[in-house]
Amino acid sequence: MQIFIFILLLKKSIMPKGLTVTVRMFQVGELGDCFLLHFVNDEQESHVLIDCGSFRNSDSSKKRLEKIVGYIRKELKDKKLDLVVGTHQHNDHLSGFVHCAGLFQGIVDQVWLSWLDDPKDTMAKKISSDQQNLVGLMETLNKKLNSLNLSGAHPAVKDILGFYSIDEDSDVPVIPAKGIANLKTLGANPVVYLSPGQQPTLPGMPPELVKVYVLGPPRNQSMLFDKDPKKTETYDPTLALAGQSAGKLISALDNLDTHSDKREEEQFPFNKIFSKRPSHADKDILKIYNNPLQSWRTIESEWLDQADRLALYLDSFTNNSSLVLAFELVQSGKVLLFAADAQTGNWLSWENIRWEKEKADFKTYNLIENTVLYKVGHHASHNATLPKALEAMQHEELVAMIPVDKKDPNITKKNGWKMPAKNLYKRLKEKTGYRVLRMDDGFADECGLTDKKNTWKKLPFKPIIDKKNLFIEYTVQG
Amino acid sequence: MPVPPGRYLRGYTLDPGFSTRLDTMGINEITYQIRWEENLLKGPCGAYFEVIDVDPASNCFYDPVDLNDIEVLATNGLSPSEGNPKFHQQFVYLAAMRTLDHFEKSLGRKIIWSRRKVVKITGPKKRKQVTYHYVDKLRLYPHAFRDANAYYTTDKKAVLFGYFEAAKKVQGSNLPGGVIFSCLSPDIVAHEVTHAILDSIHPRFTENTNPDVAAFHEAFADIVALLQRFTIPSLVESQISATRGNLEEFSFLGELATQFGNALQNSRGALRGAIGKVGPDNIWRKYTPDPQLYQSVFEPHERGAILVATIFDGFLRLYNVQTADLIRIATNGTGVLQPGAIHPDLVHRLAATACDIAERLLHICIRALDYCPPLDINFGDYLRALITADVDVSPKDVNGYRIALIEAFRSWGIFPDRVNTLSIESLCWDKPNQRNPELNANEKKILKYVAQFLKGKVGEILDLSTLEANNREQIYNASQKLQAQLHDLLVSKYRAFFSPEAWSGFLKKIGLTDEVVKFTYNGEKFQSEGPPPIEVYKVRPVYRVSREDILVEQVLITLTQTFSIRGGTLDGAKFRGGSTLILNISKDYDVEYIIYKNILSDHRFKYQMDYQQGVNPAFIALNDSLYEDGSGFGAINFANLHFHSVT
Repeated sequence: MQIFIFILLLKKSIMPKGLTVTVRMFQVGELGDCFLLHFVNDEQESHVLIDCGSFRNSDSSKKRLEKIVGYIRKELKDKKLDLVVGTHQHNDHLSGFVHCAGLFQGIVDQVWLSWLDDPKDTMAKKISSDQQNLVGLMETLNKKLNSLNLSGAHPAVKDILGFYSIDEDSDVPVIPAKGIANLKTLGANPVVYLSPGQQPTLPGMPPELVKVYVLGPPRNQSMLFDKDPKKTETYDPTLALAGQSAGKLISALDNLDTHSDKREEEQFPFNKIFSKRPSHADKDILKIYNNPLQSWRTIESEWLDQADRLALYLDSFTNNSSLVLAFELVQSGKVLLFAADAQTGNWLSWENIRWEKEKADFKTYNLIENTVLYKVGHHASHNATLPKALEAMQHEELVAMIPVDKKDPNITKKNGWKMPAKNLYKRLKEKTGYRVLRMDDGFADECGLTDKKNTWKKLPFKPIIDKKNLFIEYTVQG
Repeated sequence: MPVPPGRYLRGYTLDPGFSTRLDTMGINEITYQIRWEENLLKGPCGAYFEVIDVDPASNCFYDPVDLNDIEVLATNGLSPSEGNPKFHQQFVYLAAMRTLDHFEKSLGRKIIWSRRKVVKITGPKKRKQVTYHYVDKLRLYPHAFRDANAYYTTDKKAVLFGYFEAAKKVQGSNLPGGVIFSCLSPDIVAHEVTHAILDSIHPRFTENTNPDVAAFHEAFADIVALLQRFTIPSLVESQISATRGNLEEFSFLGELATQFGNALQNSRGALRGAIGKVGPDNIWRKYTPDPQLYQSVFEPHERGAILVATIFDGFLRLYNVQTADLIRIATNGTGVLQPGAIHPDLVHRLAATACDIAERLLHICIRALDYCPPLDINFGDYLRALITADVDVSPKDVNGYRIALIEAFRSWGIFPDRVNTLSIESLCWDKPNQRNPELNANEKKILKYVAQFLKGKVGEILDLSTLEANNREQIYNASQKLQAQLHDLLVSKYRAFFSPEAWSGFLKKIGLTDEVVKFTYNGEKFQSEGPPPIEVYKVRPVYRVSREDILVEQVLITLTQTFSIRGGTLDGAKFRGGSTLILNISKDYDVEYIIYKNILSDHRFKYQMDYQQGVNPAFIALNDSLYEDGSGFGAINFANLHFHSVT
């Protein structure tokens, strides 16, 4: 009798009951995202890859990605990747699709991208070209700052441009764009471009088992009501204005090294006859301005702070263009939330989404409340997780996965990036009952299996760290 | 030769763009009157402001205007012109002085800019040495940088105005690709100078300790800019004529910085609409008071907009009530005005009423600042300050200003803490003899002792304050001296007269303590190294005349205390307590009000830490940078707050 019970219990603990999702966070060795999801329900299964990239494009970065993608290919054997998702155009999410393009050949069924990458969407095309324009301008700005030895005081420009991996000669962000281009040809089936509110079927799994919700990137509804959409009109006013500002900033930098004879500067901001070079300015005003006792009030560099603001704006803009997906395991209602790098603006738009297949009273926050796996946005920087949403995550099985690497030079340098952000990190630990996983360490501090505060024992599956094949694995019971 | 009664200078009433439209050109340029400053130098550089026209992005300067040039004086200043930098300098000076005038009149004292803090690390032990310095003039840089922005920086005690290229698309009446100067917008200048003045009165209002603080700074600056608009009779008349006396309809008066807003490639109208906005379907609608908003909206501009809408709501109520009789007369009791244009006499009377209300309301709003606690301000506190300040100065409340404000706050859902009814008596701050728990006999004695101490010493400042001459630096120095003396009294010299226990109890009643401060937060204990240092920030006499012609003479004192947390999970946080004391000179220095925030309050500590740590869902990080921690421990940076993410 006891043996019978024992075998029964053993069977129960080994055999997955019903639907499970195994999530593997690959260790790309620096800041980057690469997540493989394996949905299994008896005979049915689906393999999903969400992003594959790392921050840099050095030989070692490439080799690492090749190893990871090679492993994925091997694990699949003769199966396919049912779905590959490219969330947004940053190097650390897409470089793998460029450096390992060969390895991905023939093994991808379906690719999902956001509506912003849809060549047939006019709004998307305009936004994309404005964005590329801004990136190009930022690169010119960066070069000028360098040549005038001013970049030291304005690190943001160079740092942000790192996400785009600009080609030296053409000033065009090569890798991310190429990554998207590759993705568009990789799938056996045509690419699907997704918008918020849509609920596409997960390839390989029936919608009765798994539902997918698209939360972002937001389509700014007010833009759709523009009176007279002319050919030259921009759909994102702020982006266009940023482009103009960058342009003006560049011509201002020109003013510094040559007495600009550019036509743009002749009337901007005043007719040239009013401008007085510092050597010819009014003596009394100069006396006040150059008074050494008042030197703390001069404004010689404030105008350049704008360069940093523009860079951060560009970064936020691209991050907010992230494709955000929520996978709902229907029977239990549990949700896996993959928010890419979406920042505040993207998150705030989720509340008002109207879902194509749900009743009118269905609220997006119903999904948030049932999150059991949260892929923390943007390597846990402070503005990529909305406090209100984090507080709303109430499920007792909540686990967080942070794709952060504390050894990344952008974090370790002086005035480096705050990832993971202190308060957010603390709150994640509290909300998950100390069940936080990190790409670099595996278990986050205080969250290990033997740590006092951890609560992994409440969950049916424990995380697995595979050092050889470079991943951290956690399985969700559906 | 007697000093001229004023200096007359021409300028814009709305943004410059309105000068090139037929329907508004007649009202967009008027001659303002500001005070005559003796010895106004080129720049212009006066006693309070110095305009320095350097344009670093263009690597040049622009020649300064001399407002005392005979040709300039003869024509009431230079002719308004967007293309002439000298006019920009004139206008920035003019708009700044106008705002200053409103404040000095309402506050009953000369404005002294907030002190400059200098931190030096000295010696082998790397000790921090902090010194404070007087700042005589606020710097105004009309063409400081190339961006759609303008901001006040307390580090440089300066306001920087940006300029930018207008959208390429035709929008409003902007020249596509033309230049928009933020220094030419009367709203933007008033708004920024208000930040600077508010900073001089309550420097702790830049500390992000609750969702209302950042919002308050923005809202208050907008309120001043908006109400100032309504004090221009010709402008108000034209708009009343256009809206047939119904101020609730769309009028330019309710928008701020129209040209600026139009230029941002966004055809949604002005930057911030106080009474309504253009919706996604391009139709303008007035905001309806929605009490839910205060509970759910936390982004500083949006939250601030609620306060602006509330004050404006009060204004509209007063206007409707006070013009009801005029409408009755004009319509013979039917209440329905004839179709078409309304009679110019009626326009004139309605406008005069509107202007009068606006000016009084502006003064009430400004005066209320003296009745605010010195830190951790919230909208409910401000309502109580408004009511108390007004009761003090106009006990009878002719015309119902207070009731209008209370109604407005109620309809927008803003309620102060721990007040059981919205009656005037409940809303007024308690006087010491009304408090619960009451001050005991000893504490009352101590209060009287402190008051008499001040009476003896404040004489020098009183004398200086009554002189017209520019002696602000002397007032500052005398105040600093007195503050030091009061500080010594509070911290040590009391011992000659009172027992430590009695003194301890007294300090608690004014929100301070002489004991070690202890809190437990989330199970973790925090404790100060000793009693936190007390700072006497301000001692100033004040003379005001109310709308009921009562002269009010008071002494204002601001006391704060700071618990700087070291170590543990809250390392780097600062928790403060303190109070504003108001003494009535004509009642023998009786302490009339103690408006305090208790440094020993567990409830306030928890709330602030939850908020700054991002636990409170209301917390929205004030910047999006990945270099930032996202904690609320830093001070509010106006440049970042203003950087437009207009969506």
